[in-house]
Amino acid sequence: MARIELKNLRKEWVGANAVAGIDLTIEDGAFVAVLGPSGCGKTTTLMMLAGIYQPTSGDITFDGARVNDVEARGRNVGIVFQSYALYPNMSVLENIMFPLRFKKIERAEAGARAREIAALVRVDGFLDRRPSQLSGGQQQRVALARALVKRPHLLLLDEPLSNLDAGLRLTMRTEIRRIQRELGVTTVLVTHDQIEATTMADRVVVMHAGRVEQEGAAEDLYERPDTLFVASFVGSPPINLFDGEADGAVVKVHQASIPLAESTRGPVVLGIRPESVQVAERGTPARVTAAEPMGREVLYTADSDFGVIRFLEAGAEPRHREGDSVHLHVSPASALLFDKASGRRIDARIAA
Amino acid sequence: MAANDAVAGPALEARGDWPALARRAWRRRVSAQAAVLAFLVVVSVPIILPYFWMVVIAFTARTGGVSSDVLWTACAVIVPAVILYSIVHMMAASRGLRLGAVVVILAIAGTLLAALVGSRLHLDNFRFLTHSDFVEELRSKATSGAQFPSVWTAFFNSLALALSQTVIILTVASLAGYYISRFTFRGRNAFLQGLLVLHAFPAMTLIIPIFLMLYWIGLLDTIVGVMLVLAAIELPFYVFVMKGFFDGVPWDIEMSAMTDGATRRQAFRLVVLPQVRVGLIAVGVFAFIRAWEEYIFVRTFLIENKNWVMSLYLFWVSDDVMGVDYGIVAAVAVFYVLPSLLLYVFCQKYLTQMTIGGIKG
Repeated sequence: MARIELKNLRKEWVGANAVAGIDLTIEDGAFVAVLGPSGCGKTTTLMMLAGIYQPTSGDITFDGARVNDVEARGRNVGIVFQSYALYPNMSVLENIMFPLRFKKIERAEAGARAREIAALVRVDGFLDRRPSQLSGGQQQRVALARALVKRPHLLLLDEPLSNLDAGLRLTMRTEIRRIQRELGVTTVLVTHDQIEATTMADRVVVMHAGRVEQEGAAEDLYERPDTLFVASFVGSPPINLFDGEADGAVVKVHQASIPLAESTRGPVVLGIRPESVQVAERGTPARVTAAEPMGREVLYTADSDFGVIRFLEAGAEPRHREGDSVHLHVSPASALLFDKASGRRIDARIAA
Repeated sequence: MAANDAVAGPALEARGDWPALARRAWRRRVSAQAAVLAFLVVVSVPIILPYFWMVVIAFTARTGGVSSDVLWTACAVIVPAVILYSIVHMMAASRGLRLGAVVVILAIAGTLLAALVGSRLHLDNFRFLTHSDFVEELRSKATSGAQFPSVWTAFFNSLALALSQTVIILTVASLAGYYISRFTFRGRNAFLQGLLVLHAFPAMTLIIPIFLMLYWIGLLDTIVGVMLVLAAIELPFYVFVMKGFFDGVPWDIEMSAMTDGATRRQAFRLVVLPQVRVGLIAVGVFAFIRAWEEYIFVRTFLIENKNWVMSLYLFWVSDDVMGVDYGIVAAVAVFYVLPSLLLYVFCQKYLTQMTIGGIKG
């Protein structure tokens, strides 16, 4: 277990900047998710933590000690790859015991430790099988056992759930969380799936174009996104964003305008979450263009004075049909304002 | 209501036709299969017949003229048997029935063959295995005095050449293939293109320069000289093949091994090499067979009879006794072809994967 620090970490490939300066502290025993779209540098960061890539500049420290020049095999880091990367030529038990080969551990003790960890991740029923004879979920557990058997300072998970079907994903989410808590191992999860990130991790780091956009608890990212990128990336269905113009008292968006509680000026972007829009007696007129039942709620798309807006309504049955005219009310507390030029959030609230 | 009827009408009509459609599909499948089978048989006859003839001659011919009546008698039994079996194979519904048919047909054909040509079989032609002076017995000593070494000298020379080829090519091609697959270095693309050009280049055109070089180095008329030349000429292709196999091994597995505490070398040995096992077997077998069957280079670079390999031995035997005793030539040929044949039979499934360069998890 270790406290991990990244200081101004950079990685440049020929002609490209994969990671453009990251500062991050991961407390001992914490579970941190790095969330971002593909190509944002999250996997590169993970590989630098593992010691597979050398950072171009900046420092990585484990418990205060700089490990930049320590090879992957010296870092005592466990990693679970998206493909699981099990060794096909070895049995499950041999796979789990593999990392212990390189430590000075008696074979008998190594076997005992491997069995113990196999029981923890619940793969002790098929230790003699080959990886190709296992289901995706079982392979995933074996990969996890192999990463954990050496009692790593740091556990790295690279998109660990993306190759599983929906049901298994749910189970493995809780399983990984349970195992991480039980062992108290410092864990970094890399994912592009916000549900994975927010359900499993204590803290979420959102990355974009090689930089950290925002770091915080899941609800912070959702309710108080620092930037336009975080607002649009976190939340499903995605937030409605409208270009507008603030003139001190109101924000003008398309044909609609919303009064401001605090004064601000200039081009802005107004963000409205689909669930903070309600159909009401009075409000912005809109015409429903699509109704998509999603199980517990219905997602509507409508043409309004703001432009095309999406909103959610609870209930399995659609209450409005295509072509219906409705009035929409936006709850002011949940609307977000961003500066158009910088993309940063403006703390000015819209008036009730 | 009327609209519903219009839709239901043709559907009902079609339902009555299902068995007829099934019969038609079955007929089509069987005739297509028969056509493919017939084509394969016709194409394989010119390949199989000479080998069959070779074996028949080796076990039946006697000194003097050669007669083909045994061949035709054997064919007269085997061809109907094969045709009969292919018909049974297509018609028979169950595995057990097919197996039974195989046993019955084999038994009948075996009995017929034993009765018709059994008395003509003998092993005299294989006396070259124990008597190295068989040529002298056939021809006057004046023309062939002590020219022939024991066949085992040639056999072990061939074996040494083929095994050394296998070892050299496996070692160099796997290391070089891995390096090219995994590392970037200056001139990597040029190197890759070079490999292909070298493979496309007809090595035979170099035979005189190589002869001179071997002479100057002092390796002319030695097995080691041929080993080096053959390895150098064959390697580019095998390096390329091995690179393909290594390309198919995911990087993740190696990275995983290295975070698990392995050095790069350990990762290569413990995790990557087992993944390309199929490639190693295929390349090894091809290298072996290629060296075993080599003729032009050994013919040019090996002179003294103690350095003969099997292909040279066969050449000189046929050169000396052709027209006198075909049986012995055929027997030597059978002996020569046996190791290649066995290797092919046992490693077939690996060899077919070589060109694909694919890996099965």
